[in-house]
Amino acid sequence: MRTIVVGLGNPILSDDRAGLAAAQILEKLLQDQPDIDIVLDTCGGLRLMELLLGYDRALILDAIVTGNPPGTVHLLPADAIASQRSASAHDVNLTTALIMGRQAGGNLPDDDHIHYIGIEAEDIQTFSEECTPAVSNAILEAVSLALHELGLDPVLIESAEFDPSNYPIRGF
Amino acid sequence: MQRISIDPITRLEGHGKIDIFLDEQGNVADAYLQIPELRGFERFCVGRPAEDMPNLTNRICGVCPEAHHMASTKALDALFHVDPPPTAKKLRELFYSIFYATDHTTHFYALAGPDFVMGPDAPKAERNILGVIKKVGMDIAGKVLKMRHDGHHLIKMMGGRPVHPNWGLPGGVSRGITEEQREEIERLGLDAVEFAKFSLQLFTDIVLGNPDYVSMVTSDEFTHNTYNMGTVDENNCVNFYDGHIRVVGPDGQEHARYLPGEYQDYVEERVEPWSYLKFPYLKKVGWKGFTDGVDSGVYKATPLSRLNAADGMATPLAQAEYERMYDTLGGKPVQHTLATHWARLVELQYAAEHWVELARDPDITGDNFRVLPTETPTEGVGCVEAPRGTLTHHYTTDERGILTKVNLIVGTTNNNAAINMSVKKAAKGLIKSGKVISDGLLNQVEMAFRAYDPCMACATHTLPGQLPMEVRLRNPEGEVLTTYKQNLT
Repeated sequence: MRTIVVGLGNPILSDDRAGLAAAQILEKLLQDQPDIDIVLDTCGGLRLMELLLGYDRALILDAIVTGNPPGTVHLLPADAIASQRSASAHDVNLTTALIMGRQAGGNLPDDDHIHYIGIEAEDIQTFSEECTPAVSNAILEAVSLALHELGLDPVLIESAEFDPSNYPIRGF
Repeated sequence: MQRISIDPITRLEGHGKIDIFLDEQGNVADAYLQIPELRGFERFCVGRPAEDMPNLTNRICGVCPEAHHMASTKALDALFHVDPPPTAKKLRELFYSIFYATDHTTHFYALAGPDFVMGPDAPKAERNILGVIKKVGMDIAGKVLKMRHDGHHLIKMMGGRPVHPNWGLPGGVSRGITEEQREEIERLGLDAVEFAKFSLQLFTDIVLGNPDYVSMVTSDEFTHNTYNMGTVDENNCVNFYDGHIRVVGPDGQEHARYLPGEYQDYVEERVEPWSYLKFPYLKKVGWKGFTDGVDSGVYKATPLSRLNAADGMATPLAQAEYERMYDTLGGKPVQHTLATHWARLVELQYAAEHWVELARDPDITGDNFRVLPTETPTEGVGCVEAPRGTLTHHYTTDERGILTKVNLIVGTTNNNAAINMSVKKAAKGLIKSGKVISDGLLNQVEMAFRAYDPCMACATHTLPGQLPMEVRLRNPEGEVLTTYKQNLT
């Protein structure tokens, strides 16, 4: 099953980088998994849909704001969030984009095979290269949940050599 | 005074909040759009090497990072006192034309199209791109996605990364293109020219063929007689990448024509206590409040403004469409906000044609694409036309090139005053003596500012994905009488 793991976020906007950090850890852990591609991006809507073309399964990691305590990790089905991620009124949401993509003949994962892992953010409006403490501490939990969703052993995390509380995201 | 608030769920979601104040008779007294602003960007930048800025600033915005990358790169040219060679300038402009064609396509089909193709009064469930596809035909989905795919593919090929390029350097770019790449760019550019023609024909058939739409576009509710700003080349034709910034008045006469580095002589930034976003206005005219006319310094910087500020388009098909638009709408300047969508398609045509022109330029595959800076950095301003308006980056450094000051005027900020005026007019047309048309109000107020394609904040979260708004009708004591909701659970 060809799988794409997408880490979304802005690496210079505090907790908005949480999804990117989790995906980069997964990239390191899953480098020997030929059927799993890890992508880091900042997009939503049409572009996010376009990233999923050609895959059978998608897992999307992102910061989220639902009003729960910062650091809460959510597992959500495809239709639970119409993630848009562009803050202008400029794009369509992912649900609409997926329908459009399928109408255009695109090979996209079924909704049953698209899941989100959302890390509840505290601050996504201040420019900073660090997450707030509660969110930093939740990144490994999100990674563990992702591994579980991918049918892999979360014990992989224990062998990783990094400090997730301030994981350097490459480039900006 | 009564108050109606059109609110997002929370400020964190990156959307604007609209407050509409009613007088004792229940008519609109005032309306304001408040836009949440990301915090601390200047503080974040100061102390870093200026060369970081093209890669840093393209992370400000999730919608038009390519525009920030280009304005920032040009600011570095000025800061390091270096003039890129012709091949570098042409490569940048080629890249930028591809970005423009891609961006304008998304806006028209995903955002503006539904209002016109489906009509502003169509049921909400149909007023989206899927409704457009259903009405126009399944082929349109494939055409739009191909256009986007081609654009993103070429942006990645030239810029080094999809969406967030890491290509621009002071004095040029980091790599050129091969003949094989040039051929592909030209081939896909020819497809883009055809796609632009198709889009303009679609607009002609559906919008111009419907007297109700034409009447809506030209209605007073969606008209503001302000100044217009845009970048022009040496022939006063629209240019997205470089040139003089030209401002024309409500009477169509030239008010100013200046180089980016002179912007502070012409544009002043005003702060209002109720808004995080500044309100730029024309310094030599002055701030007279949220009003239009020749005595008010309020200006617009949109696709339509660029056409108004220019004398024409530099490519033949776009020039023909430019003339057709002004002939249809009664000459220059056109001040109807909703005509911005038409202007955007004229620009799409120009971007595609210019893309092909540059791909055919003999210099474009040259290997002299960077001049190394040797001067001590001081201060630099870089401007481009972002799809949403004139974008200005202004940096000051110490002698080591470490940033000491950063100022940006982004596309949407230019239009802040005009957007507020548009929201107020739309609300006035829809709220009479306290009678509110709920869905019509929400959509037509949205239409009023959607034409500007505003970026309200960058790369923040917009759950649940549609513009969530809440309208609260308040009595003079501030008590909520009625609540209307859109996209709220």
